[in-house]
Amino acid sequence: MQDRTIAPTLIAIDHIDFTAPKTHRLSNSVNLYHMNSVPNETSRFDLYFDAGKCRGAIGIAGFVNGLLFSGTEVKSSIEISNEINALGGFLETGISVENAVVSIYCLRENLVSIFKVVIDAIQNASFDEKEVKEFLSDRKQNMMVSMEKVGYLAQREFQQKLFASNESYSKTVNLSDFESVSQTALKEFHAQHYLKGLLKIVVVGNLPDKDIGFIKEKTRSLLTEKSHCFDGNLENKNGSSHINKEGALQCALRIGRTLFNKKHEDYLDFLILNTILGDYFGSRLMTNIREEKGYTYGVGTMIAELHQTGYFLIATEVGKKVKDDTINEIKYELNRLQNEKVKQDELQLVKNYMLGQLLKSADGPYSMTDLFLSAEMHGKDLEFYNEALVSIQKITAERIQELALKYLNWDDMTIVSAG
Amino acid sequence: MAVVNTLYDVGARDENENKTGFAHLFEHLMFGGSINIPEYDAPLQLAGGENNAFTSNDITNYYDVLPAKNIETALWLESDRMLSLAFTPQSLEVQRSVVIEEFKQRYLNQPYGDVWLELRPLAYQTHPYKWATIGKSIDHIEEATMQDVKAFFKKHYTPSNAILCIAGNLDLNNVRALVEKWYGSIPAGNKYQRPIQIEAHQSEYREKLIERNVPSSAFYYAFKMMGRNHPDYFVADSLSDALGRDKSSRLYVSLKKNKQLVSEINAYITGSIDTGLLIISGKLNEQVSFQEFDTALWEEINKIKTVELESKELDRIMIKIRTSREFQEQGLLNRAMNLSMYELLGDANRINDENRIYSKITTRDILKCANEILQKTNCSVLKVKADKNAR
Repeated sequence: MQDRTIAPTLIAIDHIDFTAPKTHRLSNSVNLYHMNSVPNETSRFDLYFDAGKCRGAIGIAGFVNGLLFSGTEVKSSIEISNEINALGGFLETGISVENAVVSIYCLRENLVSIFKVVIDAIQNASFDEKEVKEFLSDRKQNMMVSMEKVGYLAQREFQQKLFASNESYSKTVNLSDFESVSQTALKEFHAQHYLKGLLKIVVVGNLPDKDIGFIKEKTRSLLTEKSHCFDGNLENKNGSSHINKEGALQCALRIGRTLFNKKHEDYLDFLILNTILGDYFGSRLMTNIREEKGYTYGVGTMIAELHQTGYFLIATEVGKKVKDDTINEIKYELNRLQNEKVKQDELQLVKNYMLGQLLKSADGPYSMTDLFLSAEMHGKDLEFYNEALVSIQKITAERIQELALKYLNWDDMTIVSAG
Repeated sequence: MAVVNTLYDVGARDENENKTGFAHLFEHLMFGGSINIPEYDAPLQLAGGENNAFTSNDITNYYDVLPAKNIETALWLESDRMLSLAFTPQSLEVQRSVVIEEFKQRYLNQPYGDVWLELRPLAYQTHPYKWATIGKSIDHIEEATMQDVKAFFKKHYTPSNAILCIAGNLDLNNVRALVEKWYGSIPAGNKYQRPIQIEAHQSEYREKLIERNVPSSAFYYAFKMMGRNHPDYFVADSLSDALGRDKSSRLYVSLKKNKQLVSEINAYITGSIDTGLLIISGKLNEQVSFQEFDTALWEEINKIKTVELESKELDRIMIKIRTSREFQEQGLLNRAMNLSMYELLGDANRINDENRIYSKITTRDILKCANEILQKTNCSVLKVKADKNAR
């Protein structure tokens, strides 16, 4: 009988095959990326617009994004939905601080037909008053539901403090902003940020060149003409704040600071520090706060990237009574990373885990495309991930401590709680 | 990458009514170390992998995703916790608190979070589907003992009650040898014989009104429907799509876009193995009463029971089903889970019949199914009334 206490021998990951999508240059600043090697009938396209929340007056970017498929002079919103659904398309629209994106998931045989419907709807959106009114009322109701959630309240306050140095980034919608939306303002934003705001097109799917040609042709007039500026000097406002929520059973915590993105020389190594602290199931924070103390269902950390900068975030929801204890434990874990070197076995585990994650994120055409896009946003190509592979293999405990001392000082953090 | 998926034929429906939430609590304990290996997660992470699990009313499903060349690590870990757990008191205490926090985070501290805790006991009277997987109340989780834990493991966590699916670019003979190596010596145990659980036939309309401090009033119409092994299961699925899958569906177009009665409305099925539910849920617009909505909803329901769908409506439903199936199938983990589920239902091969079954569905089938399911005496309604002074 074999000895069950002995683990099977592991084989190290020393190489990952990356496949880049093909780049089609549409103008000086706009590219189309096409991932052709998809071994089945599925396909997707994404249209990225310079229409993120940092553009325009409060709320307007979100409203226009939500109203993109609300009808044209010729077609009602129902007719547009029917056309997309009859072709088996799944439509998603999304908005972040710096971008808005429209995505379709469909079978490849239907991609071009759906593309026509989508472009027509976006290009000729008429912002019919009845549709606008209905939309605003629905959005307001959604927001009222969100305002009941401590996670939302904390995230909102966190964003205001995190981007305190730039009002375009820190502004968040209030319920009162739903009252005074003019059709003219919607149309103006649409004209400026959609009709002349296409930043990037992504197509995944085994499609012939003529389909790509058709997409290029159809989007020519939408391409953005100027190069767009995003803030690279965002700075968070440090210190604590609390939002009181009557009757809440839990308290949401958001702790973090502005940091950097892939362009920065410390990014890759910091990613490893981030994983040790809170980005996997066995992380320091999960072990301490969940697995040892049972304070929470989950706690995690992340690095979020913007075009010119990025930020670091710790997020959790804990029992109301243990809020202060949890904050102290988080502080303790940051200090421990600054004062003690990570032990070799823990470091080895994190290295192996991260290599496995990198392999996973390169598995399949959709993941591979997203991996590529994440590098492309910062002017890098897939070579970046080979560098990541090397940096994970080479990092030392000294280097991790050095980064913790540099970037994880409690006094630099914005600390928000809601509950 | 490769996937090791283990489905145990145990869910919340196998719990004692006075000890609910146990199958799910137990799922958490499966990560607290096994008989020969003190930790589950760490060795898997060392192999570059990750894992998770979920519990439903029917099943408990565990999965590991890791680089294909380290597949043996997952088999070593999974087989050891099938052999026996470590049963440490520390693990039980901590996971008990974690689950209580999960209960609060997902069911109590969210607007509308408790609707399933209310709806299940309204729709089901005799079947154990009448409680949610998280359990009836936090008390039950607080009261769980180590003795319960051990008994539950012995009863349900044996090879006889498990389905293992290994997926990835792997050599079959090699995998077979590894499975033999790690699982071969585990005693098969007894197949748990589930007592026959049949929900008593519903023959009356049920309604419950609860008041909550939520921004808008919400409704949940739950109709009993056939279980997963019934030949008409997929017809009922298509019926729910016709009613409320997307922005072209009957209820969305009529009750939201045309009549402006609701801010959102959806229809879906629970996908249960035994008698399941077809749910119509959504939120009322301000100034709209439950009564006004109810009348309009039944008008739409009567239409779909009287006149067959137009053929283009059916085509639209079918192309969406086909498209979403293509996307689901391109994910390795999804396929492994699906295969395991079909094996539990009787035969993994039946996964290949799904497309054919859907493509044969006619507008007449849907009409017939609508008449069977969408009856008032087959319906349980939960109304959540927005009230600023409620809890």
